[in-house]
Amino acid sequence: MNSAPHRFTSRADTIAFVACLLLSVGARAAPPQVQDSLASAIRATVLAPLLGLQQQAALVKGARARYGAVTAQRDSAVLVAQEVPALQEENQRLREVLSLAARLPRGHVSAEVLHQAAATDGFTLILGAGSEDGVRAMAPVVAAGGLVGVVRSVEPRTSVVMVWAHRDFRVSAMTLDGGVFGIVAPSGAAGPNTMLLELQGVPYRQDVAPGTVIYTSGLGGASGLYPRGIPIGRVLSVSEERAGWSRTFLVRPAVHPASVSHVIVLTARVADLGRAFGEAP
Amino acid sequence: MARGWYGTAAVLALLLLLHFILRPFLGDSRVAPDLLLLALLIYAIGARPGRAAVAGFVVGLLADSLTPVAFGANAFAHVAVGYLAAWVKAVFFAENLLVNAGFLFAGTWVRDMLVLVAGRHVEGTAFFWQLGVWSMLKSLTTAAVGVAVLVVFRRWLAIRVAE
Repeated sequence: MNSAPHRFTSRADTIAFVACLLLSVGARAAPPQVQDSLASAIRATVLAPLLGLQQQAALVKGARARYGAVTAQRDSAVLVAQEVPALQEENQRLREVLSLAARLPRGHVSAEVLHQAAATDGFTLILGAGSEDGVRAMAPVVAAGGLVGVVRSVEPRTSVVMVWAHRDFRVSAMTLDGGVFGIVAPSGAAGPNTMLLELQGVPYRQDVAPGTVIYTSGLGGASGLYPRGIPIGRVLSVSEERAGWSRTFLVRPAVHPASVSHVIVLTARVADLGRAFGEAP
Repeated sequence: MARGWYGTAAVLALLLLLHFILRPFLGDSRVAPDLLLLALLIYAIGARPGRAAVAGFVVGLLADSLTPVAFGANAFAHVAVGYLAAWVKAVFFAENLLVNAGFLFAGTWVRDMLVLVAGRHVEGTAFFWQLGVWSMLKSLTTAAVGVAVLVVFRRWLAIRVAE
Protein backbone atom coordinates (compact mmCIF):
# COMPACT_ATOMS: atom_id res chain seq x y z
CA MET A 1 0.00 0.00 0.00
CA ASN A 2 2.95 2.34 0.43
CA SER A 3 4.34 1.86 -3.04
CA ALA A 4 2.97 5.16 -4.23
CA PRO A 5 6.04 6.63 -5.94
CA HIS A 6 5.93 4.06 -8.75
CA ARG A 7 2.15 3.91 -9.00
CA PHE A 8 1.49 7.17 -10.79
CA THR A 9 -0.42 7.04 -14.02
CA SER A 10 1.39 5.38 -16.91
CA ARG A 11 0.46 5.43 -20.59
CA ALA A 12 -1.22 2.03 -20.24
CA ASP A 13 -3.34 3.37 -17.37
CA THR A 14 -4.43 6.36 -19.41
CA ILE A 15 -5.29 4.16 -22.41
CA ALA A 16 -7.34 1.81 -20.21
CA PHE A 17 -9.13 4.76 -18.61
CA VAL A 18 -9.98 6.43 -21.92
CA ALA A 19 -11.09 3.12 -23.45
CA CYS A 20 -13.41 2.40 -20.52
CA LEU A 21 -14.81 5.93 -20.65
CA LEU A 22 -15.48 5.61 -24.39
CA LEU A 23 -17.18 2.25 -23.85
CA SER A 24 -19.34 3.81 -21.12
CA VAL A 25 -20.33 6.71 -23.36
CA GLY A 26 -21.04 4.22 -26.14
CA ALA A 27 -23.29 2.22 -23.81
CA ARG A 28 -25.10 5.41 -22.76
CA ALA A 29 -25.64 6.48 -26.36
CA ALA A 30 -26.69 3.04 -27.63
CA PRO A 31 -30.31 2.53 -28.78
CA PRO A 32 -32.69 1.54 -25.95
CA GLN A 33 -33.21 -1.92 -27.46
CA VAL A 34 -29.46 -2.60 -27.36
CA GLN A 35 -29.24 -1.26 -23.80
CA ASP A 36 -32.16 -3.39 -22.64
CA SER A 37 -30.85 -6.57 -24.26
CA LEU A 38 -27.35 -5.98 -22.83
CA ALA A 39 -28.72 -5.33 -19.33
CA SER A 40 -31.01 -8.33 -19.65
CA ALA A 41 -28.11 -10.57 -20.71
CA ILE A 42 -26.01 -9.46 -17.73
CA ARG A 43 -28.90 -10.04 -15.32
CA ALA A 44 -29.59 -13.47 -16.79
CA THR A 45 -25.94 -14.59 -16.56
CA VAL A 46 -23.47 -12.86 -14.22
CA LEU A 47 -26.06 -11.40 -11.87
CA ALA A 48 -28.49 -14.35 -11.85
CA PRO A 49 -26.87 -16.22 -8.92
CA LEU A 50 -26.34 -12.98 -6.98
CA LEU A 51 -29.94 -11.87 -7.48
CA GLY A 52 -30.96 -15.40 -6.47
CA LEU A 53 -29.06 -14.87 -3.22
CA GLN A 54 -30.83 -11.56 -2.68
CA GLN A 55 -34.18 -13.18 -3.35
CA GLN A 56 -33.45 -15.93 -0.81
CA ALA A 57 -32.43 -13.27 1.72
CA ALA A 58 -35.68 -11.40 1.05
CA LEU A 59 -37.61 -14.65 1.58
CA VAL A 60 -35.81 -15.23 4.88
CA LYS A 61 -36.68 -11.70 5.97
CA GLY A 62 -40.32 -12.23 4.97
CA ALA A 63 -40.41 -15.61 6.70
CA ARG A 64 -39.12 -14.07 9.92
CA ALA A 65 -41.81 -11.40 9.81
CA ARG A 66 -44.50 -13.97 9.06
CA TYR A 67 -43.25 -16.21 11.88
CA GLY A 68 -43.67 -13.32 14.30
CA ALA A 69 -47.16 -12.63 13.00
CA VAL A 70 -48.16 -16.29 13.20
CA THR A 71 -46.82 -16.53 16.75
CA ALA A 72 -48.80 -13.44 17.71
CA GLN A 73 -51.93 -14.85 16.05
CA ARG A 74 -51.46 -18.18 17.83
CA ASP A 75 -51.15 -16.42 21.17
CA SER A 76 -54.20 -14.34 20.39
CA ALA A 77 -56.11 -17.45 19.34
CA VAL A 78 -55.33 -19.13 22.66
CA LEU A 79 -56.85 -16.19 24.46
CA VAL A 80 -59.93 -15.72 22.30
CA ALA A 81 -60.64 -19.46 22.08
CA GLN A 82 -61.98 -19.25 25.64
CA GLU A 83 -65.13 -17.66 24.28
CA VAL A 84 -66.79 -18.80 21.06
CA PRO A 85 -68.36 -15.43 20.14
CA ALA A 86 -64.97 -13.80 20.53
CA LEU A 87 -63.46 -16.50 18.33
CA GLN A 88 -66.09 -15.87 15.66
CA GLU A 89 -65.34 -12.19 15.80
CA GLU A 90 -61.64 -12.91 15.41
CA ASN A 91 -62.35 -15.12 12.41
CA GLN A 92 -64.36 -12.35 10.86
CA ARG A 93 -61.53 -9.90 11.44
CA LEU A 94 -59.01 -12.27 9.86
CA ARG A 95 -61.26 -12.66 6.83
CA GLU A 96 -61.38 -8.90 6.45
CA VAL A 97 -57.59 -8.64 6.32
CA LEU A 98 -57.20 -11.26 3.63
CA SER A 99 -54.49 -10.20 1.22
CA LEU A 100 -55.11 -8.59 -2.10
CA ALA A 101 -53.90 -11.75 -3.78
CA ALA A 102 -56.93 -13.65 -2.50
CA ARG A 103 -59.30 -11.09 -4.06
CA LEU A 104 -57.64 -11.02 -7.42
CA PRO A 105 -58.86 -13.29 -10.21
CA ARG A 106 -56.63 -16.11 -11.42
CA GLY A 107 -53.49 -15.29 -13.34
CA HIS A 108 -51.16 -13.39 -11.07
CA VAL A 109 -47.69 -13.90 -9.59
CA SER A 110 -46.48 -12.63 -6.21
CA ALA A 111 -42.89 -11.39 -6.19
CA GLU A 112 -40.36 -9.89 -3.82
CA VAL A 113 -38.91 -6.50 -4.73
CA LEU A 114 -35.10 -6.64 -4.81
CA HIS A 115 -34.19 -3.03 -4.02
CA GLN A 116 -30.79 -1.81 -5.24
CA ALA A 117 -28.30 0.71 -3.91
CA ALA A 118 -28.27 3.01 -6.94
CA ALA A 119 -29.66 6.54 -6.73
CA THR A 120 -32.03 5.66 -9.57
CA ASP A 121 -33.65 2.72 -7.71
CA GLY A 122 -37.04 4.47 -7.51
CA PHE A 123 -37.52 4.56 -11.28
CA THR A 124 -37.19 0.83 -11.91
CA LEU A 125 -37.50 -2.17 -9.59
CA ILE A 126 -36.10 -5.66 -9.92
CA LEU A 127 -38.52 -8.46 -9.02
CA GLY A 128 -37.58 -11.92 -7.83
CA ALA A 129 -39.89 -13.57 -10.36
CA GLY A 130 -39.35 -14.06 -14.07
CA SER A 131 -40.54 -15.90 -17.13
CA GLU A 132 -40.23 -19.26 -15.32
CA ASP A 133 -42.90 -17.99 -12.92
CA GLY A 134 -45.17 -16.79 -15.71
CA VAL A 135 -44.18 -13.12 -15.74
CA ARG A 136 -44.33 -11.52 -19.20
CA ALA A 137 -43.25 -8.16 -20.55
CA MET A 138 -45.84 -5.33 -20.36
CA ALA A 139 -47.70 -7.04 -17.50
CA PRO A 140 -49.20 -4.58 -14.97
CA VAL A 141 -47.69 -4.64 -11.47
CA VAL A 142 -49.78 -3.76 -8.42
CA ALA A 143 -49.41 -3.63 -4.65
CA ALA A 144 -52.09 -3.65 -1.96
CA GLY A 145 -52.53 0.12 -2.33
CA GLY A 146 -52.73 0.29 -6.10
CA LEU A 147 -50.71 0.57 -9.29
CA VAL A 148 -46.90 0.23 -9.11
CA GLY A 149 -45.94 0.10 -12.79
CA VAL A 150 -45.46 -2.25 -15.70
CA VAL A 151 -42.98 -5.03 -16.43
CA ARG A 152 -40.32 -3.71 -18.80
CA SER A 153 -38.14 -6.76 -19.39
CA VAL A 154 -38.12 -10.36 -18.24
CA GLU A 155 -35.37 -12.88 -17.52
CA PRO A 156 -35.93 -16.50 -16.48
CA ARG A 157 -35.92 -15.75 -12.74
CA THR A 158 -36.05 -11.97 -12.48
CA SER A 159 -37.83 -9.10 -14.17
CA VAL A 160 -37.57 -5.31 -14.30
CA VAL A 161 -40.54 -3.06 -13.56
CA MET A 162 -40.86 0.46 -14.91
CA VAL A 163 -42.33 2.31 -11.91
CA TRP A 164 -44.82 5.18 -12.27
CA ALA A 165 -42.00 7.62 -11.40
CA HIS A 166 -40.16 6.76 -14.64
CA ARG A 167 -40.37 9.57 -17.18
CA ASP A 168 -41.67 7.21 -19.89
CA PHE A 169 -44.60 5.99 -17.76
CA ARG A 170 -48.15 6.79 -18.92
CA VAL A 171 -51.54 5.29 -18.02
CA SER A 172 -55.09 6.14 -19.06
CA ALA A 173 -57.06 7.16 -15.98
CA MET A 174 -60.52 8.12 -14.77
CA THR A 175 -62.48 9.04 -11.67
CA LEU A 176 -64.61 6.55 -9.76
CA ASP A 177 -67.84 7.53 -11.54
CA GLY A 178 -66.18 7.48 -14.94
CA GLY A 179 -67.07 11.14 -15.48
CA VAL A 180 -63.53 12.43 -15.99
CA PHE A 181 -60.86 10.81 -18.12
CA GLY A 182 -57.22 11.78 -18.64
CA ILE A 183 -53.67 10.56 -18.90
CA VAL A 184 -51.59 10.08 -15.76
CA ALA A 185 -47.83 10.74 -16.03
CA PRO A 186 -44.98 11.54 -13.63
CA SER A 187 -45.01 15.15 -12.50
CA GLY A 188 -41.48 15.76 -13.76
CA ALA A 189 -37.85 15.32 -12.82
CA ALA A 190 -37.41 18.75 -11.26
CA GLY A 191 -39.05 20.76 -8.54
CA PRO A 192 -40.90 19.81 -5.36
CA ASN A 193 -43.42 17.57 -7.17
CA THR A 194 -40.86 14.99 -8.31
CA MET A 195 -42.49 12.04 -6.56
CA LEU A 196 -46.03 13.02 -7.56
CA LEU A 197 -48.14 12.26 -10.60
CA GLU A 198 -50.18 14.44 -12.92
CA LEU A 199 -53.62 13.80 -14.39
CA GLN A 200 -53.25 15.50 -17.76
CA GLY A 201 -55.61 16.38 -20.56
CA VAL A 202 -58.80 16.86 -18.53
CA PRO A 203 -61.24 19.12 -20.41
CA TYR A 204 -61.37 22.64 -18.90
CA ARG A 205 -65.09 22.45 -18.12
CA GLN A 206 -64.59 19.39 -15.90
CA ASP A 207 -63.37 19.76 -12.34
CA VAL A 208 -62.00 17.13 -10.00
CA ALA A 209 -62.24 17.80 -6.27
CA PRO A 210 -59.15 17.34 -4.09
CA GLY A 211 -59.18 13.89 -2.50
CA THR A 212 -60.85 12.21 -5.47
CA VAL A 213 -59.35 8.79 -6.17
CA ILE A 214 -58.05 8.24 -9.70
CA TYR A 215 -58.28 4.75 -11.22
CA THR A 216 -56.98 3.09 -14.34
CA SER A 217 -59.63 3.44 -17.02
CA GLY A 218 -59.00 0.13 -18.76
CA LEU A 219 -59.34 1.75 -22.16
CA GLY A 220 -58.53 -0.89 -24.74
CA GLY A 221 -60.64 -3.53 -23.04
CA ALA A 222 -59.17 -6.99 -22.46
CA SER A 223 -56.43 -6.30 -24.99
CA GLY A 224 -55.36 -3.08 -23.23
CA LEU A 225 -52.30 -2.78 -21.03
CA TYR A 226 -53.93 -2.00 -17.66
CA PRO A 227 -57.23 -3.42 -16.42
CA ARG A 228 -59.93 -1.01 -15.31
CA GLY A 229 -60.23 -0.14 -11.61
CA ILE A 230 -56.68 -0.14 -10.21
CA PRO A 231 -56.17 2.86 -7.86
CA ILE A 232 -53.44 5.21 -9.10
CA GLY A 233 -53.64 7.96 -6.50
CA ARG A 234 -55.61 10.85 -5.00
CA VAL A 235 -56.02 14.31 -6.52
CA LEU A 236 -54.22 17.00 -4.53
CA SER A 237 -54.88 20.20 -6.47
CA VAL A 238 -54.92 21.84 -9.89
CA SER A 239 -51.39 21.95 -11.23
CA GLU A 240 -51.86 23.80 -14.51
CA GLU A 241 -54.70 25.42 -16.41
CA ARG A 242 -54.81 26.28 -20.06
CA ALA A 243 -57.66 28.73 -20.19
CA GLY A 244 -60.55 27.32 -22.14
CA TRP A 245 -58.72 24.16 -23.11
CA SER A 246 -57.62 21.75 -20.42
CA ARG A 247 -56.57 21.29 -16.81
CA THR A 248 -53.80 19.27 -15.24
CA PHE A 249 -54.24 17.94 -11.70
CA LEU A 250 -51.54 16.97 -9.23
CA VAL A 251 -52.02 13.41 -7.92
CA ARG A 252 -50.54 11.81 -4.81
CA PRO A 253 -49.59 8.23 -5.83
CA ALA A 254 -51.31 5.33 -4.09
CA VAL A 255 -48.05 3.38 -3.80
CA HIS A 256 -44.56 4.68 -3.08
CA PRO A 257 -41.88 2.56 -4.78
CA ALA A 258 -39.32 2.87 -1.96
CA SER A 259 -41.74 1.37 0.56
CA VAL A 260 -42.84 -1.62 -1.52
CA SER A 261 -41.36 -4.97 -0.53
CA HIS A 262 -43.81 -7.33 -2.26
CA VAL A 263 -45.87 -6.83 -5.41
CA ILE A 264 -48.28 -8.77 -7.60
CA VAL A 265 -47.73 -9.16 -11.33
CA LEU A 266 -50.96 -9.60 -13.30
CA THR A 267 -50.12 -12.30 -15.80
CA ALA A 268 -53.61 -12.87 -17.23
CA ARG A 269 -55.57 -10.31 -19.25
CA VAL A 270 -58.38 -9.05 -17.00
CA ALA A 271 -60.78 -6.31 -18.02
CA ASP A 272 -61.83 -5.02 -14.57
CA LEU A 273 -60.12 -5.17 -11.17
CA GLY A 274 -62.42 -2.75 -9.36
CA ARG A 275 -63.76 -5.37 -6.98
CA ALA A 276 -60.30 -6.57 -6.01
CA PHE A 277 -59.46 -3.09 -4.77
CA GLY A 278 -62.70 -2.62 -2.90
CA GLU A 279 -64.18 0.32 -4.82
CA ALA A 280 -65.65 -0.95 -8.05
CA PRO A 281 -66.06 1.89 -10.51
CA MET B 1 2.57 -10.18 -1.96
CA ALA B 2 0.57 -13.28 -2.94
CA ARG B 3 -0.98 -13.39 0.50
CA GLY B 4 -2.06 -9.79 0.15
CA TRP B 5 -3.59 -10.48 -3.27
CA TYR B 6 -5.54 -13.50 -2.00
CA GLY B 7 -6.66 -11.58 1.07
CA THR B 8 -7.88 -8.66 -1.03
CA ALA B 9 -9.68 -11.02 -3.42
CA ALA B 10 -11.38 -12.73 -0.48
CA VAL B 11 -12.54 -9.42 1.02
CA LEU B 12 -13.84 -8.20 -2.35
CA ALA B 13 -15.72 -11.47 -2.91
CA LEU B 14 -17.19 -11.21 0.58
CA LEU B 15 -18.36 -7.64 -0.08
CA LEU B 16 -19.89 -8.71 -3.40
CA LEU B 17 -21.89 -11.49 -1.72
CA LEU B 18 -22.90 -9.36 1.26
CA HIS B 19 -24.09 -6.60 -1.07
CA PHE B 20 -26.88 -8.89 -2.29
CA ILE B 21 -27.47 -10.99 0.84
CA LEU B 22 -27.76 -8.05 3.24
CA ARG B 23 -29.71 -5.75 0.90
CA PRO B 24 -33.19 -6.78 2.17
CA PHE B 25 -32.08 -6.20 5.78
CA LEU B 26 -30.45 -2.78 5.30
CA GLY B 27 -33.66 -0.77 5.11
CA ASP B 28 -34.11 2.27 2.88
CA SER B 29 -31.94 1.71 -0.21
CA ARG B 30 -31.39 5.48 -0.52
CA VAL B 31 -29.20 5.55 2.60
CA ALA B 32 -28.01 1.94 2.86
CA PRO B 33 -24.27 1.39 2.30
CA ASP B 34 -23.26 0.47 -1.24
CA LEU B 35 -20.98 -2.52 -0.73
CA LEU B 36 -20.38 -2.97 -4.46
CA LEU B 37 -18.89 0.51 -4.70
CA LEU B 38 -17.01 -0.09 -1.46
CA ALA B 39 -15.39 -3.17 -3.02
CA LEU B 40 -14.31 -1.03 -5.99
CA LEU B 41 -12.84 1.68 -3.76
CA ILE B 42 -10.96 -0.85 -1.61
CA TYR B 43 -9.61 -2.46 -4.79
CA ALA B 44 -8.59 0.98 -6.07
CA ILE B 45 -6.57 1.62 -2.90
CA GLY B 46 -4.02 -0.96 -3.96
CA ALA B 47 -4.43 -1.08 -7.73
CA ARG B 48 -2.98 0.85 -10.64
CA PRO B 49 -5.36 3.52 -12.00
CA GLY B 50 -5.85 1.68 -15.30
CA ARG B 51 -6.90 -1.55 -13.62
CA ALA B 52 -9.14 0.37 -11.23
CA ALA B 53 -10.82 2.01 -14.25
CA VAL B 54 -11.47 -1.42 -15.82
CA ALA B 55 -12.82 -2.71 -12.51
CA GLY B 56 -15.00 0.39 -12.33
CA PHE B 57 -16.36 -0.33 -15.79
CA VAL B 58 -17.32 -3.89 -14.76
CA VAL B 59 -18.95 -2.74 -11.50
CA GLY B 60 -20.71 0.06 -13.37
CA LEU B 61 -22.16 -2.33 -15.95
CA LEU B 62 -23.48 -4.52 -13.12
CA ALA B 63 -25.06 -1.47 -11.47
CA ASP B 64 -26.53 -0.37 -14.81
CA SER B 65 -28.08 -3.80 -15.29
CA LEU B 66 -29.59 -3.69 -11.80
CA THR B 67 -31.21 -0.28 -12.33
CA PRO B 68 -31.54 0.13 -16.11
CA VAL B 69 -32.85 3.70 -15.95
CA ALA B 70 -29.96 5.35 -17.79
CA PHE B 71 -27.79 2.52 -19.08
CA GLY B 72 -24.14 3.55 -19.24
CA ALA B 73 -24.38 6.28 -16.59
CA ASN B 74 -23.22 3.97 -13.81
CA ALA B 75 -20.42 2.59 -15.98
CA PHE B 76 -19.22 6.13 -16.74
CA ALA B 77 -19.38 7.15 -13.07
CA HIS B 78 -17.64 4.02 -11.75
CA VAL B 79 -14.85 4.25 -14.35
CA ALA B 80 -14.16 7.86 -13.34
CA VAL B 81 -14.35 7.12 -9.61
CA GLY B 82 -12.20 3.98 -9.87
CA TYR B 83 -9.50 5.76 -11.86
CA LEU B 84 -9.51 8.89 -9.70
CA ALA B 85 -9.54 6.85 -6.48
CA ALA B 86 -6.47 4.85 -7.50
CA TRP B 87 -4.72 8.01 -8.71
CA VAL B 88 -5.52 9.95 -5.53
CA LYS B 89 -4.31 7.09 -3.33
CA ALA B 90 -1.13 6.87 -5.41
CA VAL B 91 -0.45 10.57 -4.96
CA PHE B 92 -1.35 10.99 -1.30
CA PHE B 93 -1.04 7.35 -0.05
CA ALA B 94 -2.17 8.37 3.45
CA GLU B 95 -2.91 5.45 5.78
CA ASN B 96 -4.75 7.54 8.34
CA LEU B 97 -8.14 6.15 9.32
CA LEU B 98 -9.85 9.51 9.01
CA VAL B 99 -8.32 10.09 5.58
CA ASN B 100 -9.57 6.68 4.45
CA ALA B 101 -13.06 7.50 5.77
CA GLY B 102 -13.02 10.78 3.83
CA PHE B 103 -11.75 8.96 0.76
CA LEU B 104 -14.65 6.46 0.89
CA PHE B 105 -17.18 9.22 1.63
CA ALA B 106 -15.99 11.36 -1.28
CA GLY B 107 -15.85 8.37 -3.64
CA THR B 108 -19.47 7.44 -2.92
CA TRP B 109 -20.74 11.01 -3.21
CA VAL B 110 -18.86 11.73 -6.44
CA ARG B 111 -20.15 8.46 -7.92
CA ASP B 112 -23.76 9.46 -7.13
CA MET B 113 -23.21 12.92 -8.59
CA LEU B 114 -21.76 11.54 -11.83
CA VAL B 115 -24.59 9.00 -12.15
CA LEU B 116 -27.21 11.73 -11.77
CA VAL B 117 -25.41 14.08 -14.16
CA ALA B 118 -24.80 11.41 -16.79
CA GLY B 119 -28.29 9.90 -16.38
CA ARG B 120 -30.14 13.25 -16.40
CA HIS B 121 -33.16 11.60 -14.78
CA VAL B 122 -33.25 13.93 -11.79
CA GLU B 123 -33.07 17.69 -12.16
CA GLY B 124 -33.66 20.93 -10.29
CA THR B 125 -34.54 20.81 -6.60
CA ALA B 126 -34.73 17.04 -6.60
CA PHE B 127 -31.16 16.84 -7.91
CA PHE B 128 -29.82 18.96 -5.05
CA TRP B 129 -32.06 17.15 -2.54
CA GLN B 130 -30.70 13.82 -3.73
CA LEU B 131 -27.08 14.99 -3.60
CA GLY B 132 -27.40 17.08 -0.46
CA VAL B 133 -29.34 14.61 1.67
CA TRP B 134 -29.67 11.07 0.37
CA SER B 135 -26.23 10.78 -1.23
CA MET B 136 -24.64 12.36 1.84
CA LEU B 137 -26.31 9.80 4.10
CA LYS B 138 -25.41 6.95 1.76
CA SER B 139 -21.80 8.19 1.66
CA LEU B 140 -21.73 8.31 5.46
CA THR B 141 -23.00 4.74 5.86
CA THR B 142 -20.70 3.47 3.12
CA ALA B 143 -17.69 5.20 4.68
CA ALA B 144 -18.56 3.84 8.13
CA VAL B 145 -18.83 0.28 6.82
CA GLY B 146 -15.67 0.80 4.77
CA VAL B 147 -13.64 1.89 7.79
CA ALA B 148 -14.91 -1.13 9.71
CA VAL B 149 -13.87 -3.40 6.83
CA LEU B 150 -10.43 -1.77 6.62
CA VAL B 151 -9.88 -2.18 10.37
CA VAL B 152 -11.20 -5.73 10.63
CA PHE B 153 -9.49 -7.03 7.47
CA ARG B 154 -6.34 -4.87 7.53
CA ARG B 155 -4.10 -7.95 7.58
CA TRP B 156 -5.93 -9.63 4.71
CA LEU B 157 -5.77 -6.39 2.74
CA ALA B 158 -2.11 -5.96 3.69
CA ILE B 159 -2.56 -2.34 4.64
CA ARG B 160 -1.56 -0.28 7.62
CA VAL B 161 -4.31 1.81 9.15
CA ALA B 162 -3.15 4.38 11.68
CA GLU B 163 -5.57 6.39 13.82
